[in-house]
Amino acid sequence: MLETIGFWSLAVVLVGSALAVVLSKNLFHSVLWLALALTGTAGVFLLLEAEFLAAVQLLLYAGGIVTIVVFAIVVTERLVGERITQTNRRITAGAVTSLALIALVVHAISRQPLPTAREPLTTDLTRTIGEGILTRFVLPFELLGVLMLAAMLGAVYFARPED
Amino acid sequence: MGLQAYLILAAVVFGIGLFGVVTRRNTIGILLGIELMLNAVNINLVAFARFSGSEIGMIFTVFAICITVAEAAMGLAIVILLFRIRRTVMADHLDLLKG
Amino acid sequence: MDSGLLTLVALLAPVAAFLVLATVAPLRRAGRPGAYFSILGATVSLGAAVTAWRAYDGAITRMVWDWLPSEGRPLATIGVLADETSTVMLVLVALVAFLVQVYSLSYLSDEPPQGLGRYYTYQSLFAFSMMGLVLAPNLLQLFICWELVGLCSYLLIGYWYQKPEAARAAVKAFWTTKAGDVGLLVGIVMLWTLSGTFDFGELRVMVAGNELPLAGLSIITFCIYLGAMGKSAQFPLHVWLPDAMEGPTPVSALIHAATMVTAGVYLLHRTSWLFALTPDVLMIIAWIGAFTALLAAVLACVQDDIKRVLAYSTVSQLGYMMAAIGAGFSTAGFFHLLTHGLFKALLFLGAGAVIHAVGSNDLSRMGGLARRMPQTAIVFIIGTLSLAGIPLFAGFLSKEEILGSVWAGGLVGPFALLMLVAFLTAFYMFRVVFLAFFGTAPAAARHHDSAHHGAHEHDPPAPMLLPLWILALLSMAVGIYSTFIGPGLVAVPEGAAEHAAPGWLMPAAVSVAVAGIALAWLTYQRRTINAASLASMFGPIRHAALAKFWIDDLFEHVLAAGILAFSSLVGWVDRYIVDGVLNVVSVWTVTTGDEMRTIQTGRAQDYVYGLAVGLLLLLVWARWSL
Repeated sequence: MLETIGFWSLAVVLVGSALAVVLSKNLFHSVLWLALALTGTAGVFLLLEAEFLAAVQLLLYAGGIVTIVVFAIVVTERLVGERITQTNRRITAGAVTSLALIALVVHAISRQPLPTAREPLTTDLTRTIGEGILTRFVLPFELLGVLMLAAMLGAVYFARPED
Repeated sequence: MGLQAYLILAAVVFGIGLFGVVTRRNTIGILLGIELMLNAVNINLVAFARFSGSEIGMIFTVFAICITVAEAAMGLAIVILLFRIRRTVMADHLDLLKG
Repeated sequence: MDSGLLTLVALLAPVAAFLVLATVAPLRRAGRPGAYFSILGATVSLGAAVTAWRAYDGAITRMVWDWLPSEGRPLATIGVLADETSTVMLVLVALVAFLVQVYSLSYLSDEPPQGLGRYYTYQSLFAFSMMGLVLAPNLLQLFICWELVGLCSYLLIGYWYQKPEAARAAVKAFWTTKAGDVGLLVGIVMLWTLSGTFDFGELRVMVAGNELPLAGLSIITFCIYLGAMGKSAQFPLHVWLPDAMEGPTPVSALIHAATMVTAGVYLLHRTSWLFALTPDVLMIIAWIGAFTALLAAVLACVQDDIKRVLAYSTVSQLGYMMAAIGAGFSTAGFFHLLTHGLFKALLFLGAGAVIHAVGSNDLSRMGGLARRMPQTAIVFIIGTLSLAGIPLFAGFLSKEEILGSVWAGGLVGPFALLMLVAFLTAFYMFRVVFLAFFGTAPAAARHHDSAHHGAHEHDPPAPMLLPLWILALLSMAVGIYSTFIGPGLVAVPEGAAEHAAPGWLMPAAVSVAVAGIALAWLTYQRRTINAASLASMFGPIRHAALAKFWIDDLFEHVLAAGILAFSSLVGWVDRYIVDGVLNVVSVWTVTTGDEMRTIQTGRAQDYVYGLAVGLLLLLVWARWSL
């Protein structure tokens, strides 16, 4: 019961803020709505009993990405003296395409017999994830580190000051 | 709520994100749409992982989040560089690939 | 050696000479050595031909080799067929070819060595082709040699190809005879579909055994006659022969007097048993022959070029031969072919001597040559008397045989025409004799270049004079033999009809000829009758004759109009349909490409949109089609 209320309210928040992200005329507002949407996602993770992931989501997404997007906006837009506006184009076609895609996926989902009840968790998720990434998935983990390094280097190089 | 509900939620957010990617004029706006889509995918992953009882999906989600972060950083760096060169971030004006 | 083998030798000698001259360029370009080589081939051929003729004992000999295989028996064979007709015709061809080649040594002595070599190469090829035609055992080989002969005619008429008239005449000859040749080919193929064979012997057996269906045979024989019409210059395909006089005179003597033009007559004589089955076609042949004879004789009366007179005379005599064939007595036509070959070659070679001496073909520049060229005058007069059909000379009996056979065939109309032609023949030939050899030399020539002329107006040198005497003596021998004994040369072929000429025929024919000679003498020698007033008596006819009865113009306009119309149609199709299709395709491609370019906006966002739409379509397809 509680879960249902939680799910629906989170759904409303998530979908509502997602819509606001893509429809808002002010870019800065879009970013703020995105922060809300990301937080909503973290809530969904909590509902799914993946606390660790919720924490990661909040840290990295809602904290990190929103921050860097804000910085990017500051760098690329003239904040002072001008409104940050943007408009959309190809609205109808885009809407039709997305709606069709949503409908298709929903249709595909509803045709399948999917489990409605979840088994109770037996293990501690954080522990499992930790053990997993250090034993079984240690290679992807290390590669992820390399990827991060590369991304960082690349970003630094791209965004270096002109000289 | 069953798995179905979570999947439908993810699908809706994905669609909205797609709408944003296709429609927004500002490049950063496009990137925001991409973030929404990736988010929806993560929701999908976690829901499947939870309802099928395997934690591997969760681990995979961690990786997905990290990769998304890297991608977002790169994308924004490119946007900044573009702005420096072209003095614009409007997607309409970035048409060097025009054939 | 039997006749078959000898005829084969006679056939192969000139082709060997041709092949050597064609491939060994230094020998050919040297000129006279090449000429001697060719003459050597001609000599061997003549020897073999004469021996074959004498050795012929009445047994038909065939030597054939399979050529085109087919299931069961071969589709076509090549080889030689030696019977009375072919052996005696072979002698004529070999003899005239040999004499003409010897004559050309002197006549063409001014030619550059490469040209001379080329000339003798063609001569050898022609000799081979004509003999191949004569000795052909089946219609297919005959047709192939027929075409080869036409090719050699083109090559030799156009020997002086730098002269535009000669080149045009050669092409005209080729095209006109080609028109007839198409008919011949159609006829041969139709005959093959009817009978299943090309071979003369087999066809004869089929005809004798009534195995050949008569339905449609008239069309076949008419088509075969079309080929003969082209080669033997019957109206209206006679237009090429006078123009063919642009070639050297020995060529005219060989090809357009004795051999190639007689190929049509020879063909009809060879297949006379086939034509006997279609009397309606024979009637057409007779009438066209008689009409051609008259037309050509009228045209010959108004010519001032000595070679043109002889050319029209040949056309006229060919009409005579065709008329006899049309009457059903092809043997008479063939006999005239042989005698005509002798004396017409003689006349042409004699004319060549005159042309060589005077430096021109024009009759008005000749006169009184008998005093300066006595031997030439004598042999030319012998030839003329033969052509006129005077007893003791070669053409006498053969012409009378023709008249008799036309009468016996019941063709009164053609007979009357032919009698008129006999009168005209004597008249125009003796006009030439009196104008060229008697009377006085034209004053203009005498004053202007007397020194130059005086040096040239003499009897020709030995290589030219010797053939002339040989032909003259042969003419006289044949004439005397035939006057007193009969047509011994040509034994009556198997099954040919005999006829008895009415008693009044010979005196009538001779007196008509004498009347013609008398008229010519009075007009041109004694000048009793004024030539101009004689001409004005026939004013309109003469005017038409000078324009060659506008036949050439008619051909030209019709062909030009037809060909131009057809080619403009073809051009339209080419421009608007063939090119049009291509142009439309290319324009569409370019336009489509231009329009499809607009998809490539260069904006990544648009490409993402495309991706999304594509993904959607794929999903739809995956869900509802797979």
